[in-house]
Amino acid sequence: MQQTTQTPQTPQAAKPKPAPPKPPAEFQEGAIATMDAAGLVRILSDSSATEFQKAKACQRAGELGAKEAVPALAALLSSEHLSTYARYGLEPIADPSAGDALRAALPKLKGILQAGVINSLGVRRDEKAVPALSRLVRDSDVNVSRAAIAALGSIGGAASAKELQTLVTRTTGLTKMSAADACLVCAERMLAAGERDQALKMYAFLSNPDIPKPARLGAMNAIISVETAPDRPR
Amino acid sequence: MTTRRQILKSAAAAPMIVPSVVLGQRAGAVAPSDKITLGGIGIGSRGAHVLSKFLNISQVQFVAICDVRNERREEIKSVADKKYGNHDCQMYDDQYDLLARQDIDAVLIATGDRWHTPLSIIAAQHGKDVYCEKPCSMTIDESWALAAAFKRYNRLYQAGCQRRNGANFILCKQLLRSGALGKLKALYANVGPSVNWPPLPSRDWLAAEELPPKQVLDWDRWLGPAPWRPYHSSYVRGGWRNFYDFHGGGILEWGSHTVDLCQWAADLDDTQPVEYEPVGTNVGPYHVNCRYANGVQLVMRDNGWDGALKTGSCSFRIEGDQGWVETGDQTRIECSDNIRPLLRPTEPASLALENHVKELVRCIAKRQPTSANAAAAANSHVVCHAAFIAYQRGKTLTWDPAKAEFTNDEIANRMRSRALREPWRV
Repeated sequence: MQQTTQTPQTPQAAKPKPAPPKPPAEFQEGAIATMDAAGLVRILSDSSATEFQKAKACQRAGELGAKEAVPALAALLSSEHLSTYARYGLEPIADPSAGDALRAALPKLKGILQAGVINSLGVRRDEKAVPALSRLVRDSDVNVSRAAIAALGSIGGAASAKELQTLVTRTTGLTKMSAADACLVCAERMLAAGERDQALKMYAFLSNPDIPKPARLGAMNAIISVETAPDRPR
Repeated sequence: MTTRRQILKSAAAAPMIVPSVVLGQRAGAVAPSDKITLGGIGIGSRGAHVLSKFLNISQVQFVAICDVRNERREEIKSVADKKYGNHDCQMYDDQYDLLARQDIDAVLIATGDRWHTPLSIIAAQHGKDVYCEKPCSMTIDESWALAAAFKRYNRLYQAGCQRRNGANFILCKQLLRSGALGKLKALYANVGPSVNWPPLPSRDWLAAEELPPKQVLDWDRWLGPAPWRPYHSSYVRGGWRNFYDFHGGGILEWGSHTVDLCQWAADLDDTQPVEYEPVGTNVGPYHVNCRYANGVQLVMRDNGWDGALKTGSCSFRIEGDQGWVETGDQTRIECSDNIRPLLRPTEPASLALENHVKELVRCIAKRQPTSANAAAAANSHVVCHAAFIAYQRGKTLTWDPAKAEFTNDEIANRMRSRALREPWRV
C-alpha cells in the first residue's frame, strides 16, 4: 500500500540552535551540586555567601532532606529573593523541625512572604498549623487570607472543615469562592480517609444555590460520582 | 414614558422578525448561543500557531488576550481583530481579570512551562475549559494536582499532545489493538535531542541585566511560580529552556508528546512504569529504559529520532511479538514486512493539531471527555518526570504506581515536588 510522505513538520525542528549566553562564574552551581549537609549549612550561615550560593544550597538541602539545615533555611524565610528557596529546602524535609520552623515564622512575616510560608504548611498538611491558619483566613491581605483558606482545605480534618464552612456562609466574593474551593478539597480528603458520610454532607452544603457556580457544579458532580460508585454502601 | 406592558402589546401586534443569523440558519453560520467563547493567556509563537487553528473554526469566538508582555498582547489583539473585522478583542495583563469574565467558556494557555499547571488550575476554579500546551507540569506532584483539579470542577482539558489526533499515529495504535502486531513487547518514545535540550538542564543563572520598564515587561509576573533570579533578556526571548527552574530538559520537551503516545497506544493512560534506568551523559545520545509491571518495556531514546528509518521528529515505535510499526512527524509509517499489507494512506501529520483543536471544541459543545484529558496527561507526565528524576539521580529508580512513590530512593521522592514562588500554589 502506498504511504504518503509529507515534508517535515517544523514547530520543534531538531537542529542545533545558536549558542545561548553562558552563565558567569559567580552564577555557576559547581561544587554545591554535590555538597553534603555540613557544607550546605556553612554556606547558608555565611554572611559573605552570595544570594546565588544560598539559593543553590537551599535547593540541595531540600533534596537531601537535611534536617541540620533547618535553622539556616528558616532564617531566609524573610528574604525577598530567597524565601522561595528557603521553602524549597524546608517543604520536603520530613523532620518535624521543618514544620516547627515554618509555623514559628508565621507571625514574623507579612504579605506574600507570609502567604508563601502558609502555602508550604498546606503542602506539608501540617495539622498543628490549623489554629494559626484559622486566624489568618480573615487577614486583610488577600494573598494571606486566600493562602490560609487553601491550606486549611489541603490539611483537611474536622476543625478545618468547620472553619471553611463558616467562611463560605459569612463571606462574599473572592473569599467565598476561595473557601468553597477549599471545602471541595477538604471533602476529597474526607473521601480519601473513608469518611464518606462527612464528605457527602460537605458536598450537599456546597450544592446550595448561593455557592459560586464552579464549586457548586463540582460538588453536585461529586455527589453523583460518590452515590453511583460501584463500591458505595448498599 | 413607555411601559413594559405597552412594549409587549406592540410586540404582540407586530410580526416578530428574528434575523436568521441569530438562529444560525444562514449557511455555515453559528448561532450566538452555540458559539464557544475563547480567551488566551501567554500566546507567543507556538501559541499563535495553535490560536490560528481555533480562529479557523466558525464556532469559536476569540475575545480576550492576557500577557505580561505588552507587545504580545497587541500582536494577538491585532490578529483577532483582523480576523473578525472589529476591535472587540480585550487585552489584560492579569489573568484573574480575564478569567473573571463570565462570557468566556475556555482558555488557551501557551505560556512558559512553569505557568502551565497553576494557570490551568486557576482557570478550572473559574469554571473554564482549557487547552494547554505541553509540557503540562513541572513536577510529579503538579501533574497529580492538575488531574485532581479538572476532576474536581468537572471541566474539560486538552493537553497540547496533538499527535493523539494524527492519522498516522492513530493507525499505529489501531494496528496494535487489532492484534496484528501480536503481544506487546516494547514501546519506544523519541525524547528531545541533547544537542537542543540536554537531559540535565542547567541550575545556573545568567548574568543580571537592567530590568525593562514594568509596562514593557513585568519580570515578577513573568517569573510567576518559578523561584526568583536576576533578569536577563535571553530568558524572555525563549532562552528559559534548558534552565532547571523553567524546563524539564529533552525528556519533558518531547517525552510529553511521545511517552504520551506510547501510553495512549498501549491503553496505559492510567498507570506508569515501575522501573527507570538512565543511560548516557548530558552530551550525546541518551536513553531511559523503563519497564511496566506487566513486563512491557518503554524506551525513551534521543538517538533514534533521525535514524535510518527517517520517520521524523517526535517519533514513536511499537514492537509486538509478531511485528512492529514506527511513525513520526514525517507521516510515513515504517513497519515489519508482515504489517505492510495492512497499511493505508493517511492524512499529513501536520493536520494533527487542527484535528486536536477541533476535538476540544466538539467536546466542549457536547460535554464529552477529550482524548488528551488531564488524567491521561498527568500519567504520561509523571512517567516523564520519573525518568527525568532518574536521570538526575544517575541510578535506576523503582516506582510504585499505587502509592505514587519511588521505592528505592528518598532523595528522588523529595524531588517529586518543588515549592512555588509566593503567592502561587497548585
